[in-house]
Amino acid sequence: MAEELLAPMVGKILKIKVKPGDAVREDDEIMVMESMKLETGIHAPCDGVVKEIKVAEGDRVEEDDLLAIIE
Amino acid sequence: MAADWKELKERLEAERVRLRAGGGPPLQEKEHAKGKRTARERIDLLFDPGTFEEIDLFAKHIGRDYGLDKKEVPADGVVIGYGEVNGRGCMVYAEDFTVIAGTFGERHGKKICKIIDMARKYGFPVVGINDSGGARVTEQMGALSQYGQLFYRHVAASGVVPQIALIMGPVAGGQAYSPALMDFIFMVEKTSAMFIAGPPLVEAVVYEKTDEQSLGGPKVHGRITGVSDGTLADDRQCLEHTRRLLGYLPLNNQERPPYVTPEDSPDRETSELEEIIPTDQKRLYNMRRVIQCVFDRGSFFELKKDFAQNLIIGLARLNGHVVGVVANNPVKYNGALDYNAADKGSRFIRFCNAFNIPLVNFQDVPGFLIGTRSEHNAIIRHGAKMLYAYAEATVPKITCVLRKAYAGGYLAMCSKDLGADVVFALPTAEICLMGPQGAVNILFRKEIASSETPEETRARREAEFMEKYVNPTYAAGLQHVDDIILPGELRRRLIRALEMTLDKEEEAPNRKHGIMPV
Repeated sequence: MAEELLAPMVGKILKIKVKPGDAVREDDEIMVMESMKLETGIHAPCDGVVKEIKVAEGDRVEEDDLLAIIE
Repeated sequence: MAADWKELKERLEAERVRLRAGGGPPLQEKEHAKGKRTARERIDLLFDPGTFEEIDLFAKHIGRDYGLDKKEVPADGVVIGYGEVNGRGCMVYAEDFTVIAGTFGERHGKKICKIIDMARKYGFPVVGINDSGGARVTEQMGALSQYGQLFYRHVAASGVVPQIALIMGPVAGGQAYSPALMDFIFMVEKTSAMFIAGPPLVEAVVYEKTDEQSLGGPKVHGRITGVSDGTLADDRQCLEHTRRLLGYLPLNNQERPPYVTPEDSPDRETSELEEIIPTDQKRLYNMRRVIQCVFDRGSFFELKKDFAQNLIIGLARLNGHVVGVVANNPVKYNGALDYNAADKGSRFIRFCNAFNIPLVNFQDVPGFLIGTRSEHNAIIRHGAKMLYAYAEATVPKITCVLRKAYAGGYLAMCSKDLGADVVFALPTAEICLMGPQGAVNILFRKEIASSETPEETRARREAEFMEKYVNPTYAAGLQHVDDIILPGELRRRLIRALEMTLDKEEEAPNRKHGIMPV
Protein backbone atom coordinates (compact mmCIF):
# COMPACT_ATOMS: atom_id res chain seq x y z
CA MET A 1 0.00 0.00 0.00
CA ALA A 2 1.44 3.37 -1.01
CA GLU A 3 0.95 6.49 1.09
CA GLU A 4 1.18 9.90 -0.49
CA LEU A 5 3.07 12.55 1.40
CA LEU A 6 1.45 15.95 0.78
CA ALA A 7 2.71 19.44 1.56
CA PRO A 8 1.07 20.64 4.79
CA MET A 9 1.05 24.26 3.59
CA VAL A 10 2.37 26.70 1.03
CA GLY A 11 6.13 27.28 1.29
CA LYS A 12 9.62 26.20 0.22
CA ILE A 13 11.39 22.86 0.60
CA LEU A 14 14.62 23.47 2.52
CA LYS A 15 16.01 20.03 3.02
CA ILE A 16 15.28 16.48 1.89
CA LYS A 17 16.69 13.94 4.31
CA VAL A 18 15.94 10.70 2.43
CA LYS A 19 16.39 9.27 -1.04
CA PRO A 20 14.38 6.68 -3.00
CA GLY A 21 14.91 3.23 -1.56
CA ASP A 22 15.49 4.43 2.02
CA ALA A 23 13.53 2.70 4.73
CA VAL A 24 11.59 5.06 7.01
CA ARG A 25 9.60 4.68 10.19
CA GLU A 26 6.35 6.43 10.94
CA ASP A 27 7.01 9.98 12.20
CA ASP A 28 10.62 10.11 10.95
CA GLU A 29 11.41 13.60 9.73
CA ILE A 30 11.99 13.18 6.02
CA MET A 31 11.89 16.77 4.81
CA VAL A 32 12.08 20.26 6.22
CA MET A 33 10.12 23.11 4.71
CA GLU A 34 9.98 26.78 5.45
CA SER A 35 6.76 28.71 5.51
CA MET A 36 5.20 31.62 7.35
CA LYS A 37 8.54 32.48 8.99
CA LEU A 38 9.09 29.02 10.48
CA GLU A 39 10.77 25.78 9.62
CA THR A 40 8.43 22.82 9.67
CA GLY A 41 9.46 19.18 9.68
CA ILE A 42 7.53 16.87 7.38
CA HIS A 43 7.17 13.40 8.82
CA ALA A 44 6.60 9.96 7.37
CA PRO A 45 2.90 9.02 7.51
CA CYS A 46 3.74 5.31 7.96
CA ASP A 47 6.54 2.75 8.13
CA GLY A 48 7.84 1.88 4.66
CA VAL A 49 10.26 2.53 1.86
CA VAL A 50 10.58 5.80 -0.02
CA LYS A 51 9.39 4.96 -3.52
CA GLU A 52 9.61 8.34 -5.16
CA ILE A 53 10.49 11.92 -4.30
CA LYS A 54 8.58 14.50 -6.31
CA VAL A 55 10.33 17.69 -5.22
CA ALA A 56 13.86 19.07 -4.93
CA GLU A 57 15.42 21.29 -2.31
CA GLY A 58 14.52 24.90 -3.00
CA ASP A 59 11.21 24.03 -4.72
CA ARG A 60 8.19 26.15 -3.95
CA VAL A 61 5.13 24.08 -3.07
CA GLU A 62 1.41 24.67 -2.59
CA GLU A 63 -0.64 23.05 0.14
CA ASP A 64 -1.43 19.41 -0.76
CA ASP A 65 1.23 19.21 -3.50
CA LEU A 66 2.62 15.68 -3.74
CA LEU A 67 6.07 15.56 -2.12
CA ALA A 68 6.86 11.84 -2.00
CA ILE A 69 5.38 8.37 -2.10
CA ILE A 70 6.09 5.93 0.72
CA GLU A 71 5.42 2.25 0.12
CA MET B 1 -73.56 5.95 33.59
CA ALA B 2 -70.37 8.00 33.76
CA ALA B 3 -67.09 6.09 33.87
CA ASP B 4 -65.65 5.83 37.35
CA TRP B 5 -62.11 6.87 38.33
CA LYS B 6 -60.76 3.36 37.99
CA GLU B 7 -61.96 3.14 34.42
CA LEU B 8 -60.75 6.65 33.54
CA LYS B 9 -57.37 5.81 35.00
CA GLU B 10 -57.06 2.57 33.07
CA ARG B 11 -58.14 4.23 29.86
CA LEU B 12 -55.57 7.03 30.20
CA GLU B 13 -52.81 4.61 31.19
CA ALA B 14 -53.51 2.42 28.17
CA GLU B 15 -53.51 5.44 25.88
CA ARG B 16 -50.20 6.65 27.32
CA VAL B 17 -48.56 3.27 26.89
CA ARG B 18 -49.78 2.99 23.32
CA LEU B 19 -48.58 6.47 22.31
CA ARG B 20 -45.24 6.20 24.11
CA ALA B 21 -44.51 3.00 22.24
CA GLY B 22 -44.05 5.11 19.10
CA GLY B 23 -43.65 2.85 16.07
CA GLY B 24 -43.65 -0.24 18.32
CA PRO B 25 -41.08 -2.88 19.29
CA PRO B 26 -40.23 -4.29 15.80
CA LEU B 27 -39.25 -0.86 14.47
CA GLN B 28 -37.44 -0.03 17.70
CA GLU B 29 -35.41 -3.22 17.34
CA LYS B 30 -34.52 -2.17 13.82
CA GLU B 31 -33.09 1.09 15.20
CA HIS B 32 -31.19 -0.76 17.92
CA ALA B 33 -29.67 -3.02 15.27
CA LYS B 34 -28.27 0.07 13.55
CA GLY B 35 -26.64 1.05 16.86
CA LYS B 36 -29.20 3.77 17.47
CA ARG B 37 -31.37 4.45 20.51
CA THR B 38 -35.00 5.45 20.33
CA ALA B 39 -36.15 9.02 20.98
CA ARG B 40 -37.33 8.23 24.49
CA GLU B 41 -34.21 6.25 25.39
CA ARG B 42 -32.14 9.25 24.31
CA ILE B 43 -34.18 11.60 26.46
CA ASP B 44 -33.64 9.31 29.45
CA LEU B 45 -29.89 9.44 28.85
CA LEU B 46 -29.93 13.23 28.56
CA PHE B 47 -31.85 14.08 31.72
CA ASP B 48 -31.33 13.30 35.39
CA PRO B 49 -33.42 10.19 36.19
CA GLY B 50 -37.10 10.88 36.75
CA THR B 51 -36.98 14.58 35.82
CA PHE B 52 -38.40 14.48 32.29
CA GLU B 53 -41.90 15.87 31.78
CA GLU B 54 -43.39 15.19 28.37
CA ILE B 55 -45.92 17.53 26.81
CA ASP B 56 -48.01 17.13 23.66
CA LEU B 57 -47.97 13.34 23.81
CA PHE B 58 -51.51 13.51 22.45
CA ALA B 59 -50.70 15.78 19.50
CA LYS B 60 -52.27 14.50 16.27
CA HIS B 61 -51.04 14.82 12.73
CA ILE B 62 -53.03 16.81 10.20
CA GLY B 63 -52.78 14.45 7.18
CA ARG B 64 -56.10 13.97 5.40
CA ASP B 65 -55.13 12.57 2.02
CA TYR B 66 -53.60 9.31 0.79
CA GLY B 67 -55.37 7.38 3.56
CA LEU B 68 -53.40 9.14 6.27
CA ASP B 69 -56.57 10.29 8.00
CA LYS B 70 -56.96 6.68 9.14
CA LYS B 71 -53.34 6.26 10.21
CA GLU B 72 -52.21 6.89 13.74
CA VAL B 73 -48.91 8.76 14.09
CA PRO B 74 -48.02 8.64 17.81
CA ALA B 75 -47.01 12.09 19.13
CA ASP B 76 -46.60 12.98 15.42
CA GLY B 77 -43.10 11.55 15.42
CA VAL B 78 -41.44 13.91 17.87
CA VAL B 79 -41.18 13.90 21.66
CA ILE B 80 -40.99 17.28 23.41
CA GLY B 81 -40.74 18.32 27.03
CA TYR B 82 -38.50 19.57 29.80
CA GLY B 83 -36.31 18.12 32.50
CA GLU B 84 -33.10 18.63 34.43
CA VAL B 85 -29.46 18.11 33.58
CA ASN B 86 -27.35 18.01 36.74
CA GLY B 87 -30.20 19.74 38.53
CA ARG B 88 -30.52 22.57 36.00
CA GLY B 89 -33.49 23.03 33.67
CA CYS B 90 -33.37 22.15 29.98
CA MET B 91 -35.86 21.75 27.12
CA VAL B 92 -35.73 18.96 24.58
CA TYR B 93 -37.23 17.79 21.33
CA ALA B 94 -36.37 14.37 19.98
CA GLU B 95 -37.54 13.05 16.63
CA ASP B 96 -38.78 9.47 16.66
CA PHE B 97 -37.54 7.57 13.62
CA THR B 98 -39.86 4.65 14.41
CA VAL B 99 -42.88 6.85 13.66
CA ILE B 100 -43.09 7.21 9.88
CA ALA B 101 -39.31 7.76 9.77
CA GLY B 102 -39.47 10.81 12.05
CA THR B 103 -40.71 12.80 9.08
CA PHE B 104 -41.35 16.48 9.61
CA GLY B 105 -45.04 17.29 9.25
CA GLU B 106 -47.05 20.33 10.28
CA ARG B 107 -47.88 19.23 13.84
CA HIS B 108 -44.40 17.77 14.28
CA GLY B 109 -43.01 21.21 13.39
CA LYS B 110 -45.46 23.02 15.65
CA LYS B 111 -44.38 20.89 18.57
CA ILE B 112 -40.71 21.73 18.02
CA CYS B 113 -41.56 25.44 17.65
CA LYS B 114 -43.56 25.30 20.86
CA ILE B 115 -40.70 23.92 22.92
CA ILE B 116 -38.23 26.46 21.48
CA ASP B 117 -40.69 29.26 22.34
CA MET B 118 -40.91 27.90 25.87
CA ALA B 119 -37.12 27.69 26.15
CA ARG B 120 -36.79 31.32 25.12
CA LYS B 121 -39.65 32.53 27.28
CA TYR B 122 -38.63 30.72 30.45
CA GLY B 123 -34.90 31.01 29.84
CA PHE B 124 -33.65 27.45 29.43
CA PRO B 125 -31.27 25.85 26.93
CA VAL B 126 -32.83 23.68 24.25
CA VAL B 127 -31.40 20.40 22.96
CA GLY B 128 -32.72 19.19 19.60
CA ILE B 129 -32.24 15.52 18.77
CA ASN B 130 -32.49 15.14 15.00
CA ASP B 131 -33.33 11.82 13.38
CA SER B 132 -35.67 12.30 10.48
CA GLY B 133 -36.28 11.16 6.94
CA GLY B 134 -37.01 14.77 5.99
CA ALA B 135 -40.18 16.62 5.11
CA ARG B 136 -43.45 14.64 5.19
CA VAL B 137 -44.28 14.99 1.50
CA THR B 138 -48.00 14.35 2.01
CA GLU B 139 -48.26 17.53 4.06
CA GLN B 140 -46.67 19.87 1.50
CA MET B 141 -47.16 23.52 2.56
CA GLY B 142 -47.83 22.40 6.14
CA ALA B 143 -44.30 21.00 6.39
CA LEU B 144 -42.63 23.72 4.32
CA SER B 145 -44.23 26.48 6.36
CA GLN B 146 -43.18 24.82 9.63
CA TYR B 147 -39.57 24.71 8.46
CA GLY B 148 -39.82 28.46 8.05
CA GLN B 149 -41.46 28.82 11.47
CA LEU B 150 -38.69 26.70 12.98
CA PHE B 151 -35.88 28.74 11.41
CA TYR B 152 -37.59 31.93 12.59
CA ARG B 153 -37.65 30.60 16.14
CA HIS B 154 -34.03 29.49 16.15
CA VAL B 155 -33.12 33.03 15.20
CA ALA B 156 -35.43 34.54 17.84
CA ALA B 157 -33.81 32.33 20.49
CA SER B 158 -30.26 32.90 19.19
CA GLY B 159 -28.14 34.60 21.83
CA VAL B 160 -31.02 34.34 24.35
CA VAL B 161 -30.71 30.66 25.31
CA PRO B 162 -28.08 28.10 24.25
CA GLN B 163 -29.29 25.84 21.41
CA ILE B 164 -27.61 22.47 20.90
CA ALA B 165 -28.35 20.12 18.00
CA LEU B 166 -27.53 16.42 18.14
CA ILE B 167 -27.48 14.56 14.85
CA MET B 168 -28.42 10.97 15.55
CA GLY B 169 -29.66 9.85 12.18
CA PRO B 170 -30.26 11.53 8.86
CA VAL B 171 -31.10 15.23 8.69
CA ALA B 172 -32.01 15.85 5.11
CA GLY B 173 -33.20 18.72 2.98
CA GLY B 174 -34.31 22.04 4.36
CA GLN B 175 -34.27 20.59 7.84
CA ALA B 176 -30.45 20.67 7.79
CA TYR B 177 -30.71 24.42 8.30
CA SER B 178 -32.33 23.92 11.68
CA PRO B 179 -29.14 22.63 13.38
CA ALA B 180 -27.15 25.12 11.30
CA LEU B 181 -29.00 27.97 13.03
CA MET B 182 -28.24 26.56 16.48
CA ASP B 183 -25.07 27.12 18.52
CA PHE B 184 -23.50 23.66 18.65
CA ILE B 185 -23.85 20.50 16.57
CA PHE B 186 -22.62 17.07 17.62
CA MET B 187 -22.77 14.05 15.34
CA VAL B 188 -22.64 10.31 15.94
CA GLU B 189 -20.21 8.06 14.05
CA LYS B 190 -21.69 5.97 11.21
CA THR B 191 -25.38 6.66 11.92
CA SER B 192 -25.57 10.42 11.31
CA ALA B 193 -25.54 12.56 8.19
CA MET B 194 -26.58 16.07 7.21
CA PHE B 195 -27.12 17.31 3.67
CA ILE B 196 -29.52 19.57 1.82
CA ALA B 197 -30.18 16.87 -0.79
CA GLY B 198 -29.73 13.12 -0.44
CA PRO B 199 -28.01 10.71 -2.86
CA PRO B 200 -31.05 9.98 -5.10
CA LEU B 201 -31.81 13.67 -5.68
CA VAL B 202 -28.12 14.46 -6.21
CA GLU B 203 -27.89 11.76 -8.85
CA ALA B 204 -31.09 12.85 -10.60
CA VAL B 205 -30.26 16.54 -10.68
CA VAL B 206 -26.49 16.92 -10.90
CA TYR B 207 -25.65 13.39 -12.16
CA GLU B 208 -23.30 12.59 -9.31
CA LYS B 209 -23.28 9.12 -7.76
CA THR B 210 -22.58 9.35 -4.06
CA ASP B 211 -23.70 8.12 -0.64
CA GLU B 212 -24.92 9.70 2.58
CA GLN B 213 -21.61 9.51 4.42
CA SER B 214 -19.62 11.16 1.62
CA LEU B 215 -22.25 13.85 1.20
CA GLY B 216 -22.52 14.82 4.84
CA GLY B 217 -21.29 12.24 7.34
CA PRO B 218 -19.49 13.19 10.57
CA LYS B 219 -16.08 13.12 8.85
CA VAL B 220 -17.23 15.61 6.22
CA HIS B 221 -18.76 18.02 8.73
CA GLY B 222 -16.05 17.50 11.35
CA ARG B 223 -13.07 18.03 9.07
CA ILE B 224 -14.06 19.74 5.83
CA THR B 225 -17.08 21.97 6.40
CA GLY B 226 -16.78 22.78 10.10
CA VAL B 227 -20.56 22.40 10.44
CA SER B 228 -20.10 19.95 13.30
CA ASP B 229 -18.51 20.69 16.67
CA GLY B 230 -17.53 17.10 17.29
CA THR B 231 -18.15 13.43 16.55
CA LEU B 232 -19.00 10.93 19.27
CA ALA B 233 -18.84 7.14 19.02
CA ASP B 234 -22.50 6.44 19.84
CA ASP B 235 -25.72 7.98 21.13
CA ARG B 236 -24.85 7.43 24.78
CA GLN B 237 -21.49 9.19 24.51
CA CYS B 238 -23.03 12.00 22.50
CA LEU B 239 -25.65 12.63 25.20
CA GLU B 240 -23.03 12.41 27.94
CA HIS B 241 -20.95 14.97 26.02
CA THR B 242 -24.00 17.24 25.80
CA ARG B 243 -24.59 17.00 29.56
CA ARG B 244 -20.97 17.98 30.06
CA LEU B 245 -21.25 20.94 27.67
CA LEU B 246 -24.39 22.20 29.43
CA GLY B 247 -22.34 22.32 32.63
CA TYR B 248 -20.29 25.18 31.12
CA LEU B 249 -23.23 27.22 29.85
CA PRO B 250 -25.50 29.71 31.57
CA LEU B 251 -29.19 28.81 31.25
CA ASN B 252 -29.76 32.04 29.34
CA ASN B 253 -28.05 35.31 28.42
CA GLN B 254 -29.15 37.03 31.64
CA GLU B 255 -27.03 34.69 33.72
CA ARG B 256 -23.36 34.06 34.19
CA PRO B 257 -21.99 30.61 33.39
CA PRO B 258 -22.06 28.26 36.39
CA TYR B 259 -19.17 28.60 38.83
CA VAL B 260 -17.89 25.44 40.49
CA THR B 261 -15.60 25.30 43.49
CA PRO B 262 -12.22 24.48 41.99
CA GLU B 263 -10.10 21.57 43.14
CA ASP B 264 -7.06 23.05 41.48
CA SER B 265 -5.10 25.74 43.35
CA PRO B 266 -5.14 29.25 41.87
CA ASP B 267 -1.49 29.58 42.92
CA ARG B 268 -0.33 26.39 41.23
CA GLU B 269 2.93 27.14 39.44
CA THR B 270 2.94 26.39 35.76
CA SER B 271 6.68 26.05 35.23
CA GLU B 272 6.00 22.88 33.19
CA LEU B 273 5.44 25.37 30.38
CA GLU B 274 9.20 25.84 30.26
CA GLU B 275 9.44 22.24 29.07
CA ILE B 276 6.55 22.62 26.63
CA ILE B 277 7.33 25.93 24.92
CA PRO B 278 10.72 25.87 23.18
CA THR B 279 12.70 29.12 23.29
CA ASP B 280 13.99 28.18 19.83
CA GLN B 281 11.37 29.89 17.71
CA LYS B 282 11.81 27.41 14.89
CA ARG B 283 10.71 24.48 17.01
CA LEU B 284 7.05 23.52 17.25
CA TYR B 285 5.17 22.46 20.37
CA ASN B 286 1.79 21.19 21.44
CA MET B 287 -0.51 24.08 22.33
CA ARG B 288 -3.06 21.68 23.86
CA ARG B 289 -0.48 20.80 26.51
CA VAL B 290 -0.15 24.49 27.33
CA ILE B 291 -3.92 24.76 27.72
CA GLN B 292 -4.12 21.61 29.86
CA CYS B 293 -1.36 22.92 32.09
CA VAL B 294 -2.77 26.41 32.66
CA PHE B 295 -6.52 25.88 33.13
CA ASP B 296 -8.16 23.93 35.95
CA ARG B 297 -7.04 20.31 35.62
CA GLY B 298 -9.19 18.31 33.20
CA SER B 299 -11.54 21.20 32.48
CA PHE B 300 -10.78 21.85 28.81
CA PHE B 301 -13.75 21.04 26.55
CA GLU B 302 -12.57 21.38 22.99
CA LEU B 303 -14.87 22.22 20.07
CA LYS B 304 -14.37 21.69 16.32
CA LYS B 305 -11.12 19.88 17.03
CA ASP B 306 -10.64 18.42 13.55
CA PHE B 307 -11.66 21.53 11.62
CA ALA B 308 -9.26 24.43 10.96
CA GLN B 309 -6.68 22.83 13.21
CA ASN B 310 -4.51 25.93 13.16
CA LEU B 311 -6.84 27.47 15.74
CA ILE B 312 -7.88 25.72 18.95
CA ILE B 313 -11.17 26.73 20.60
CA GLY B 314 -13.02 25.41 23.60
CA LEU B 315 -14.46 26.05 27.03
CA ALA B 316 -12.45 25.64 30.21
CA ARG B 317 -12.42 26.71 33.83
CA LEU B 318 -10.01 29.06 35.50
CA ASN B 319 -10.25 28.91 39.29
CA GLY B 320 -13.81 27.61 38.81
CA HIS B 321 -14.92 30.34 36.39
CA VAL B 322 -15.94 29.32 32.87
CA VAL B 323 -13.89 30.92 30.09
CA GLY B 324 -13.67 30.56 26.33
CA VAL B 325 -10.20 29.64 25.11
CA VAL B 326 -8.90 30.75 21.71
CA ALA B 327 -5.35 29.62 20.92
CA ASN B 328 -3.20 29.43 17.82
CA ASN B 329 -1.88 25.96 17.10
CA PRO B 330 1.65 26.16 15.69
CA VAL B 331 1.51 22.56 14.49
CA LYS B 332 -0.81 23.48 11.59
CA TYR B 333 0.21 26.31 9.24
CA ASN B 334 2.62 27.34 12.02
CA GLY B 335 -0.44 28.87 13.66
CA ALA B 336 -1.21 31.26 10.78
CA LEU B 337 -4.88 32.19 10.52
CA ASP B 338 -6.62 31.07 7.34
CA TYR B 339 -10.23 31.62 6.25
CA ASN B 340 -11.53 28.54 8.04
CA ALA B 341 -9.77 29.39 11.31
CA ALA B 342 -11.18 32.92 11.17
CA ASP B 343 -14.67 31.54 10.63
CA LYS B 344 -14.29 29.04 13.47
CA GLY B 345 -12.82 31.58 15.86
CA SER B 346 -15.20 34.43 15.21
CA ARG B 347 -18.31 32.32 15.65
CA PHE B 348 -17.03 31.01 18.97
CA ILE B 349 -16.05 34.48 20.20
CA ARG B 350 -19.56 35.74 19.44
CA PHE B 351 -21.12 32.79 21.28
CA CYS B 352 -18.99 33.52 24.35
CA ASN B 353 -19.84 37.21 24.23
CA ALA B 354 -23.57 36.51 23.93
CA PHE B 355 -23.50 34.23 26.98
CA ASN B 356 -21.22 36.23 29.28
CA ILE B 357 -18.24 33.90 28.95
CA PRO B 358 -14.89 35.74 29.32
CA LEU B 359 -12.26 35.07 26.66
CA VAL B 360 -8.68 33.94 27.24
CA ASN B 361 -6.47 34.11 24.17
CA PHE B 362 -3.08 32.47 23.65
CA GLN B 363 -1.10 33.97 20.81
CA ASP B 364 1.52 32.28 18.70
CA VAL B 365 0.67 33.55 15.27
CA PRO B 366 2.96 34.46 12.39
CA GLY B 367 0.10 36.36 10.70
CA PHE B 368 -2.76 35.62 8.37
CA LEU B 369 -1.92 32.86 5.89
CA ILE B 370 -0.66 34.53 2.72
CA GLY B 371 -0.40 33.51 -0.94
CA THR B 372 -2.72 33.27 -3.94
CA ARG B 373 -4.76 30.43 -2.55
CA SER B 374 -5.36 32.20 0.73
CA GLU B 375 -6.31 35.47 -0.98
CA HIS B 376 -8.64 33.66 -3.39
CA ASN B 377 -10.29 31.95 -0.46
CA ALA B 378 -11.15 35.45 0.73
CA ILE B 379 -8.86 35.75 3.72
CA ILE B 380 -9.66 39.47 3.75
CA ARG B 381 -13.39 38.90 4.07
CA HIS B 382 -13.06 36.04 6.57
CA GLY B 383 -10.14 37.48 8.52
CA ALA B 384 -12.22 40.61 9.08
CA LYS B 385 -14.66 38.47 11.09
CA MET B 386 -12.03 37.81 13.75
CA LEU B 387 -11.29 41.52 14.12
CA TYR B 388 -14.99 42.27 14.21
CA ALA B 389 -15.85 39.60 16.76
CA TYR B 390 -13.11 40.54 19.20
CA ALA B 391 -13.71 44.28 18.87
CA GLU B 392 -17.43 43.79 19.39
CA ALA B 393 -17.09 41.51 22.43
CA THR B 394 -17.70 43.27 25.75
CA VAL B 395 -16.90 40.28 28.00
CA PRO B 396 -13.52 40.28 29.79
CA LYS B 397 -10.77 39.62 27.25
CA ILE B 398 -7.37 38.48 28.48
CA THR B 399 -4.53 37.76 26.09
CA CYS B 400 -1.12 36.18 26.58
CA VAL B 401 1.51 36.26 23.86
CA LEU B 402 3.50 33.03 24.10
CA ARG B 403 5.76 33.46 21.09
CA LYS B 404 4.90 35.03 17.76
CA ALA B 405 2.44 37.89 17.53
CA TYR B 406 3.07 39.27 14.10
CA ALA B 407 1.22 41.95 12.21
CA GLY B 408 -2.48 41.38 11.52
CA GLY B 409 -2.35 38.10 13.41
CA TYR B 410 -1.43 39.98 16.59
CA LEU B 411 -4.47 42.23 16.24
CA ALA B 412 -6.79 39.41 15.15
CA MET B 413 -5.95 37.38 18.26
CA CYS B 414 -7.13 40.24 20.49
CA SER B 415 -4.46 42.78 21.24
CA LYS B 416 -4.90 45.81 23.51
CA ASP B 417 -6.11 47.78 20.50
CA LEU B 418 -8.98 45.35 19.88
CA GLY B 419 -10.09 45.89 23.46
CA ALA B 420 -8.15 43.29 25.45
CA ASP B 421 -8.50 44.14 29.15
CA VAL B 422 -5.20 42.60 30.17
CA VAL B 423 -2.30 41.54 27.94
CA PHE B 424 0.60 39.45 29.19
CA ALA B 425 3.69 38.36 27.30
CA LEU B 426 6.19 35.63 28.06
CA PRO B 427 9.85 36.57 27.60
CA THR B 428 9.76 34.45 24.41
CA ALA B 429 7.16 36.78 22.86
CA GLU B 430 7.93 38.36 19.51
CA ILE B 431 5.52 41.20 18.93
CA CYS B 432 5.97 43.23 15.79
CA LEU B 433 4.53 44.74 12.67
CA MET B 434 6.98 42.77 10.59
CA GLY B 435 9.37 39.94 11.44
CA PRO B 436 13.11 40.68 11.54
CA GLN B 437 13.81 38.88 8.25
CA GLY B 438 11.31 40.89 6.23
CA ALA B 439 12.13 44.15 7.94
CA VAL B 440 15.88 43.79 7.46
CA ASN B 441 15.35 42.96 3.79
CA ILE B 442 13.58 46.27 3.32
CA LEU B 443 15.63 48.48 5.64
CA PHE B 444 19.12 47.19 4.85
CA ARG B 445 18.87 45.71 1.36
CA LYS B 446 21.52 48.02 -0.07
CA GLU B 447 23.84 47.59 2.88
CA ILE B 448 23.59 43.80 2.66
CA ALA B 449 24.04 43.79 -1.12
CA SER B 450 27.17 45.92 -0.96
CA SER B 451 28.65 44.14 2.05
CA GLU B 452 31.70 41.96 1.61
CA THR B 453 30.17 39.51 4.07
CA PRO B 454 26.44 39.80 3.27
CA GLU B 455 25.31 36.90 5.49
CA GLU B 456 27.15 38.31 8.45
CA THR B 457 25.73 41.77 7.87
CA ARG B 458 22.24 40.36 7.59
CA ALA B 459 22.59 38.31 10.77
CA ARG B 460 23.93 41.32 12.67
CA ARG B 461 21.13 43.58 11.44
CA GLU B 462 18.49 40.95 12.27
CA ALA B 463 19.80 40.45 15.79
CA GLU B 464 19.86 44.18 16.33
CA PHE B 465 16.31 44.54 15.01
CA MET B 466 15.09 41.69 17.27
CA GLU B 467 16.58 43.30 20.33
CA LYS B 468 15.17 46.72 19.50
CA TYR B 469 11.69 46.12 18.13
CA VAL B 470 10.63 42.49 18.50
CA ASN B 471 11.58 41.94 22.12
CA PRO B 472 8.43 42.24 24.27
CA THR B 473 9.98 44.98 26.39
CA TYR B 474 9.49 47.26 23.38
CA ALA B 475 5.72 46.61 23.26
CA ALA B 476 5.54 46.74 27.07
CA GLY B 477 7.36 50.07 27.03
CA LEU B 478 4.58 51.41 24.83
CA GLN B 479 1.86 49.91 27.11
CA HIS B 480 0.64 47.38 24.55
CA VAL B 481 1.61 44.68 27.03
CA ASP B 482 0.62 45.11 30.67
CA ASP B 483 3.32 42.86 32.01
CA ILE B 484 6.02 40.44 30.97
CA ILE B 485 5.70 37.29 33.04
CA LEU B 486 7.38 33.92 33.50
CA PRO B 487 5.69 30.69 32.36
CA GLY B 488 5.42 29.51 35.96
CA GLU B 489 3.32 32.58 36.83
CA LEU B 490 0.88 32.28 33.94
CA ARG B 491 -1.97 30.47 35.70
CA ARG B 492 -1.91 32.69 38.76
CA ARG B 493 -1.67 35.89 36.73
CA LEU B 494 -4.52 34.88 34.41
CA ILE B 495 -6.73 34.08 37.39
CA ARG B 496 -5.97 37.41 39.06
CA ALA B 497 -6.67 39.26 35.83
CA LEU B 498 -9.90 37.33 35.23
CA GLU B 499 -11.23 37.87 38.74
CA MET B 500 -10.38 41.57 38.48
CA THR B 501 -12.34 41.92 35.21
CA LEU B 502 -15.35 39.64 35.95
CA ASP B 503 -17.63 42.56 36.78
CA LYS B 504 -16.58 44.53 33.73
CA GLU B 505 -19.32 46.69 32.31
CA GLU B 506 -19.08 48.02 28.83
CA GLU B 507 -22.03 49.36 26.91
CA ALA B 508 -22.28 48.50 23.25
CA PRO B 509 -23.20 51.50 21.08
CA ASN B 510 -26.91 52.04 20.60
CA ARG B 511 -27.81 50.52 17.24
CA LYS B 512 -29.95 47.77 15.83
CA HIS B 513 -26.87 45.67 15.16
CA GLY B 514 -23.50 46.10 13.53
CA ILE B 515 -22.79 44.68 10.10
CA MET B 516 -20.61 41.66 10.72
CA PRO B 517 -18.56 40.96 7.57
CA VAL B 518 -19.98 37.46 7.09
